[in-house]
Parts: sequence; structure tokens; C-alpha cells
Amino acid sequence: MPFRFILRPLRRSIVALPPALFTALICYSLPVLAQEAEAGEQLFQTHCARCHGILGEGGEGPSLKRPQLNHAPDDDALYSVITEGIPGTGMPGSWMLSPADGRQLVSYVRNLGQLPDEPMPGDPSAGEIVYNNAGNCASCHILNGIGEGIGPQLNGVGARRNSEYLRRSVTSPEVEQPKIVDRFRGTLNAFLTVRIVSERGTYEGMRINEDAFTVQMRDLAGDIYSFEKADLLSFEKAFGHSYMPGYGAVLTETQINDVVSYLMTLRD
Amino acid sequence: MKKINKMNVKFACSFILAIGTLHSVSTLADTTYEDHLADEANGADWLSYSGGYKSHRFSPLSQINTANVDQLKVMWAYQMQPTGISGAGLQETTPVVSDGIMYLTESPSSVTALDARSGNLLWHWSPDISNEVLNIGFPRINRGVALLDNNVYVATLDARLFALDARTGAVRWETQVADNSLGFSLTLAPLALDGKIIVGVSGAEAGVRAFLDAYDASSGQRLWRTFTVPEPGEPGSETWQGDDWETGGGSTWLTGSYDPELDLLYWTTGNPAPDWNGDLRPGDNLYTCSVIAFDPETGEMRWHFQYTPHDTHDWDANQIPVLVDGEFEGQQRKLLALANRNAFYYLLDRATGEFLLAEEYSYQTWAEGIDENGRPIVIPNTEPTREGVLVWPSLQGATNWFSPSYNPQTEQFFVANRRMGAIYFKADAEYQPGQPFLGGGEQALDGDQATGAILALDVMSGEQQWEFELLTPPWSGVMATSGGLVFGSSNEGQFFALDAATGDPLWNFNTGAHIRTNPMGFSIDDNQRVAIIGGQTLFVLGLE
Repeated sequence: MPFRFILRPLRRSIVALPPALFTALICYSLPVLAQEAEAGEQLFQTHCARCHGILGEGGEGPSLKRPQLNHAPDDDALYSVITEGIPGTGMPGSWMLSPADGRQLVSYVRNLGQLPDEPMPGDPSAGEIVYNNAGNCASCHILNGIGEGIGPQLNGVGARRNSEYLRRSVTSPEVEQPKIVDRFRGTLNAFLTVRIVSERGTYEGMRINEDAFTVQMRDLAGDIYSFEKADLLSFEKAFGHSYMPGYGAVLTETQINDVVSYLMTLRD
Repeated sequence: MKKINKMNVKFACSFILAIGTLHSVSTLADTTYEDHLADEANGADWLSYSGGYKSHRFSPLSQINTANVDQLKVMWAYQMQPTGISGAGLQETTPVVSDGIMYLTESPSSVTALDARSGNLLWHWSPDISNEVLNIGFPRINRGVALLDNNVYVATLDARLFALDARTGAVRWETQVADNSLGFSLTLAPLALDGKIIVGVSGAEAGVRAFLDAYDASSGQRLWRTFTVPEPGEPGSETWQGDDWETGGGSTWLTGSYDPELDLLYWTTGNPAPDWNGDLRPGDNLYTCSVIAFDPETGEMRWHFQYTPHDTHDWDANQIPVLVDGEFEGQQRKLLALANRNAFYYLLDRATGEFLLAEEYSYQTWAEGIDENGRPIVIPNTEPTREGVLVWPSLQGATNWFSPSYNPQTEQFFVANRRMGAIYFKADAEYQPGQPFLGGGEQALDGDQATGAILALDVMSGEQQWEFELLTPPWSGVMATSGGLVFGSSNEGQFFALDAATGDPLWNFNTGAHIRTNPMGFSIDDNQRVAIIGGQTLFVLGLE
């Protein structure tokens, strides 16, 4: 039962209610709420946790621990998003859900949005300085239009990822590689390291796109290449490799905490 | 012969020809039963979903061949017309062509007639379908029409069957096949026999009790209905307990095949309901996940073969039953070949239903093999669980509805293969009319964790001859031709031609959008054409 601890934040949210209301809930609704939470938890694990994280904190999909969800301003819209998906994004419709299950998931996701924000592990102001100096993050990331586009753009990353994910991305980037979810192709590594050898030379970089016949890649200088697979001498995919260095050996623990905190403030 | 006969009639009655137009569209859009019988040898037309009653999806044309396929060009394209019905953006139709006119469906249930020479619109018809129509367990799609005499037949998402006038698209008759509010729906291309239109239903994910129907082609009157899940007392009812049969599934959602000599109609069936919780329906659950041979006159079952008894992975047997004649183990046999969603390729004797052979054609982890009676030797602990269990293939199967192809000249069977595992979950399920009745689900190991391929198998042994790897598991079928080619396509949008002898890629074209349908072929003015739909666009290609 690896996901059982998911109940913990829900209980915390109940405790955070005003005392009178909390008493009323204990007398009247707690068994019902607990049942709904249990059912919602199970449904969330099956249908949502893979992308949105075990605690709804985000992963391949955005964090759901937000009172306002961009595509779901109200419960009806959230129900539609859950059952029909969001066209043009990686969010699929969960057609397997019964209406009752869909409503239970709506309730569960709304509960996630009422949870308090994660505490920041450090000082975001100091983290911004780390971002721009010791970390030199803009040499590979574009944030608010500034920087180089080698790695992923970081606008809004604090709304998409939790602190644990951000920390791993800073210290062990090969573990947390951004994915792109294609409606027809499934989950693809968005920054997959590839090594391509043709008669014209050896090329290393990140896959931009691929099909059965061709592959497109971008090297660390930002140059884009397109290859016919039939012309290649070799084509290797390095799953688990990232061009981003692990900053655990470069930054102090305090600096890491600070830059994670800064990234957590990037919510727009 | 057909073409000449029609042209004679046209000369007699068409003023268009009288004024000297060299390229006329047929004014007599009749497609007779005899035309259907001759369809496999007739490369000019493509009269039914699978290109003939034997469902070979094989073009006998060779003008486009291994030597010149790299010269293929788009001759014309047709952009499909949005209906305003939400969720109807996938196109899974196979166009048919009769005497210069192409008929295709557009999601969810519209029909379009085009001049096959130019792509110009002749007529377009859309039924009045509510946006609230139920489609539980499948997208809002349609796979094509049937042609017979002067009519075009289309089955609709809200479970109706229409006969349209082939020249104008005007409605000749319509009939309500089943109740959509219970989850019944029709997405398949009907099959036209001699005076009859055969249709099956979708809906097992809503817990329907499915059936196969035959309708009088000229009046729309129902001639027979045979349920695929028996009621108590009928043969096969011993494989159900209590009232489980009432919600037993067994959908008939993909077009079948027909052997006019044996006068047997072959139709495949889908999963038992609920899909993933087998505790709620103990037993083999006949006649789900099976192929059934029907008497087309009466609808009586002559024989059946169940590929996956007591299925708990949603491995419908709704794949195309391919009718093959040839020598099997030294004896001339009438065979039925099917590459099943459960990752095994099967050969049956189609006169008797006798099991002859099963061969694993795709990686799987659920069965040690198939025993001498055709029954899988199931590996323990591969059923869905509350916690989840990892099994290959995924619920979408090692292949799915998209068509295989058979080249009778080389006895090669080609199939588009999905190579993906999934974590299967079991959940509670309670039947409520018109609601999902599923009992679980899956988390698929998709994207970079999965691949796909086009496979060539020896039809008599199921042994793989070659494979052409695809980046992701395909949702589109294949068509072989006399030109030594196999046409296929990919999620990435490529329409491509492989050398049928080796699997080597000879040509590819990026349609610019995902492809989720089958290739087909025809000729116009003796010029060979191949057609495919990418996204919302139909492309017709040929040599200049």
C-alpha cells in the first residue's frame, strides 16, 4: 500500500477548520467524509496520480494543490476536464469513470486545492540571487523572456512542480526529466539525450521529435538538425541522462534550499 | 465486366457523354451483390470495408510497385467537415469506391460522396445526432458505409441504420437498431450481402447484452437478431451464473467476413462485462471474445471459437477475420486467420470451427501458450488486482480494430502491432443502465516505454518473416498490393510503403497529423490510387 499516506493531508485540512465547524463535522459528517476521501483517494491513485503526483503536487502534470485551476473554474468544469480531458494538452479524458466516481474525484481534487501551500525550505529572495549568479541558470533556461533555451522554460514552474520535484531537478536532473504527453503517442521524454553518427560526423544533443523515418535534435549550441534514419550509422537514446549538471556538488545546501524556494514562487 | 456493362448503360442514357465529356462520373451508382462477389479480383473498385468478403484488404493492382512507389504524389485531398458534435475529431473510416464515386463517413456519422477522379464533393449527409449521445468505452467515430444496389448504408452513433440514395444522399429508410440510452451504439461499417445488411453493436462497457442483426436491404425490416450472450437454457448459458448474462457484453462492433460458397457469415465479439472485474461474472462467458459462424439466412450459429475465455483484460476479439484458402499441413483447407488482441495469431478451419494453430506474434506475459484445443494456458496472478498488476499486452492489445492484410499470391499476413504493457486494476462495478460498467482500468506504459511495428507473418504458420519498427504503438491498419508493397501508417502521421518481401521502407509521406484508419486502393481511368486519412484530411495518391 505505497500510497496510504495520501490521507494525511486531508486529515490536516479537516483539523484546519474552525473549531465549531470541526465539531459539527465530527458529529455528523466525518464518517461520510472519510468514506468519500477513501474512495476519492483510490480513484485518484488509479486515474490521476501518475501525472499529477501522489499528493496532487504535480509531476508530469501540473500541481492540483491550488485553489484555482486554470481549466476548471468551477466543479462542473472540473468534472468535464476529468471526464473529457483538455484538448491540445496531455490531459486525457477518463472515460472509464462513472458519473459518481467523477464527482468523487471532483470533490477530492477540490480538497487538494484547500491544502495549505508547502512550506518553503529557504529564502526565495536569496534564491533569485543564486539563480542569476552561482547557479547561472539563465545560461540554459528562459524565465520571463530572459536566458537561453537549452533546457525547459521555467515560467510557472512553481505551479506545476512541488518542492521535492524541484529539489530533485536541481540536484539530480537525470532523475526528473520533463515529459511531453501526446494524445496519440503517449508520454515521451521532452529532453531525451541522443547521440547520432552519420557519415558527416557525430552529433549529440536533445531529441526534439522523432518518427519511424526521421529524428530531429538540438545540440547544446541551440542548432537544430534533422536526419533520415536510413542514412545513419548509429542512433542511440540515453534514457536517464541529462545535460543539466547536478547542482548538489556546486551549490551549498542553503543555496539549494533558496533556489528551490525561488522556483516555488514562479506560479504565473 | 461490370465496368463495361455500366458504360454501355451510360452511353444509352447519359446526355453528359452525348455532349462529349470524356470523364464522366457514373450516373448509375448501383453496386450489385454480384459486384461484391467479384470485388477481390476487381482492382478498380473497393466495394466494402475490407475490400471484399474475404477481408483481405489487398489491392490486385500493380501499377504502383516497388520500382516506382517513390514517385507517389498527392493527386487530391479532401478536408472533412466539422459537425459541431463535440469529441468527434477522430476519423477511422475506410472509404469505398464504386464506379468512380468514393463514399466515406466522417465522425460521428456523416456520409460524403466524392468524385474519385477530382475529389470534388457530390453530396454530404449528416444525421441529426444529439451532443448528449452516449459512447461509453470508445470515441465518437464511424468506420464506413456499405453499398448495395442504389443505396449507401450507414450505421450511426445513436444506434440507427440508414439507407441513403447513392446518387443524392437522400434518406430511403431508417431504423432504430437499439437504444442508445442503454449504451448501445453503432460505429462499424455495415456488411452488404445478397439483399441483406448486417450490423453489430458496441456497448459492452455499458453492460449491454450484444447481438448481430440482419435487415432487409430494400425495406429496412429486421430479418433476424442473434444475441452473442445466451439466455438461460440456450447453448453456452452454462458459462454464466445467475443473471450475469443480462449485462454480459459480447459486442459485435467490427465488420465481419463472408464465405459465399459455404454460405457462412463470420463475426467477432468483444469483451464480457464488466471488463476488468471477472469476479462479478464467473465462467467462460460465451460467446464473448469469440468468432462465430452464422447462417446468414436465419442468424443461427453454426459454430463458435472463443479466443479468450473469461477475459479480464478487455481483449475483445473484434479484429478482422481473414478468410484464407490454401494448403495447411498437406491438406487444402478453407481457413480463418485472425491476429488477436491477446497477442496470439490463430488459424481455424472455417467450415467447422476446428482449432488448427496458435502462434505468439507479440510479446505477452499472460499465457504460457495455447493448448491443443485452442484454450490459453493462463499464467497465475495475471488478472487485474486492486493494487494493480503489470501485464503485456495493454488493454488496447497487441493489435486492435485496425485491419490486417493478406496477400494470397505470397501467402503473407501483415498486421500492425502494438507493443505496450499496462498495469491493470480491478474495482467494484454496479450495473446502472446507460452508465459505464467496467470494474477497473489500466495505466498504460506508453510513449517511450512502448513501441509498434508492422509484421509480416507466414499465414500458414504464423511465423514472423520480418518486422518494421514504429516509434509508438500504431492505431492504423495495412494494405498489401500486387505491386509487392505493404502500405501502413503511424501515430506520427507518416503514410508509408514497405517492400512486402523484406519490410524495407521504400517511401513515406508526412500527412501532418495522426493516422487512425486503414489504407485502401482503387483505380480511376486505369490509374492506380491509394488513399489514407491523416487527421481530418483524406489524401488520394498516385503516379503522375
